[in-house]
Amino acid sequence: MTFLAQAGVLGIFVEGNFAPFVMMLLFTIIVYVMIQRARAGLKIPEIRKLAGLDALDEAIGRATEMGRPVFTFPGLAGVTNPQTLAYFGLLGHVAKRSAQYDTRLIAGNVDPYVYPISEEIVRQAYLEAGRPDAFNPDDVRFVAYDQFPATAAILGIYRRERPAATILYGAFWAESMILVENAAQIGAISIGATANTHQMPFFVAGCDYALIGEEMYAASAYVSKEPVLTGTVVGQDWARIGVFALIIVGTILAQVQTTNWLKTILGK
Amino acid sequence: MKKELPMVLATIAALSVLLSQYFFAINQLGWLDSLDKVYNMMAALAIGLGLVNLTVVHSGYIRRKREHWWASVVLLVCLWGYTVLSLVLGNDHAFVDWFYQHLIVPADSTLYGMVSFFITVAAYRVFRVRTLEATILLASAVFVLLGTAPIGDVIVPGWSTARQWILDVPNTGGMRGIIIGTYLGAWATALRVMLGLERAHLGGAG
Repeated sequence: MTFLAQAGVLGIFVEGNFAPFVMMLLFTIIVYVMIQRARAGLKIPEIRKLAGLDALDEAIGRATEMGRPVFTFPGLAGVTNPQTLAYFGLLGHVAKRSAQYDTRLIAGNVDPYVYPISEEIVRQAYLEAGRPDAFNPDDVRFVAYDQFPATAAILGIYRRERPAATILYGAFWAESMILVENAAQIGAISIGATANTHQMPFFVAGCDYALIGEEMYAASAYVSKEPVLTGTVVGQDWARIGVFALIIVGTILAQVQTTNWLKTILGK
Repeated sequence: MKKELPMVLATIAALSVLLSQYFFAINQLGWLDSLDKVYNMMAALAIGLGLVNLTVVHSGYIRRKREHWWASVVLLVCLWGYTVLSLVLGNDHAFVDWFYQHLIVPADSTLYGMVSFFITVAAYRVFRVRTLEATILLASAVFVLLGTAPIGDVIVPGWSTARQWILDVPNTGGMRGIIIGTYLGAWATALRVMLGLERAHLGGAG
């Protein structure tokens, strides 16, 4: 590290961002290797089963049997939030299945950026399912551009349209419990997914199926069964093992040494 | 071309933001500020789209005289009334602000206040002891609850210290584990978007 500093390498980086850059690079390499292995048709480890994503078809099927709609909602975050990007992958799948099963899909949106993208995803999904005529643009809705007005609007949709399945997939805050409990009150099967740690307990407690943390980011890979996309999820799992190993080494070093060189390096 | 061009633009924007975070020289170019301005401009346009969507959907409800159609009338009056007021008088005008402070803020607080009741109902459902996990959850919840209340230390001195240990050690440790996984997942998602592997946001079933 002293050598790097003397060589002026650290000056290239924004202060404190050298170690994160190296970590990011290593992680990217792991993911890239997995993608290349998948592209070459080599065997890549399978990803574990995710009950929440397996339940998607069951939830849509239930809505079909009951003749009631499916409701999806990406939470309050905008397109810059990775959770919303994960939602887009899921929405395409749900919309396509809904079109195939001839089930009405209502997609609520809070963010004005997310709304037109959601509409385009649902439109394309209906087209790909061969049912463009079944697409109703009014069912992709901009509910409100604020937390609780949006919550109130969604509760209105719950009461009026009585969806048989509610899929809450994205970044949620205080509204999560209200939405989950009201879904339970109208007898809807609920699938909740969020990476917002403070809302995870509410989803685990209230939803029939919950996806927490990194599970929600696997949606597009998991539902599409596309090997290349699956490779990125496997790479993510390998990186997690690496981070876990670093934590163990760091913990041991912190116990036996007064100066923890690992902490010094990671702080650069 | 319809999908390729946005994909290329997204990759360029993502790379410039990413490299600005790490490299000092790129950081000084000020690309982040420029991209922020573009983002805000597009958001303003998107809000317009949202307004149109709300108007079309609720006008349809009123036209078809669907159940609770009067609520749609209230919504459209409020939506356009407040929009016109803000445009004519300005957002900082006392009259416009009065509406916000005396209608929207109390309504927001009311909904927020309802959260505690929903948490209670959800807690009742989840704490019914059916599995080993539910039992552990119930036991730790009761322990933390009593440790937070003054009665905990009266029953057993030092209860609040034990409660704090549960929050600081097992709870924080588990939470940090989840957060690490979350960040790796977020980065994998960003990477998929940058490499053009994830195209759902460009439309279609992914």
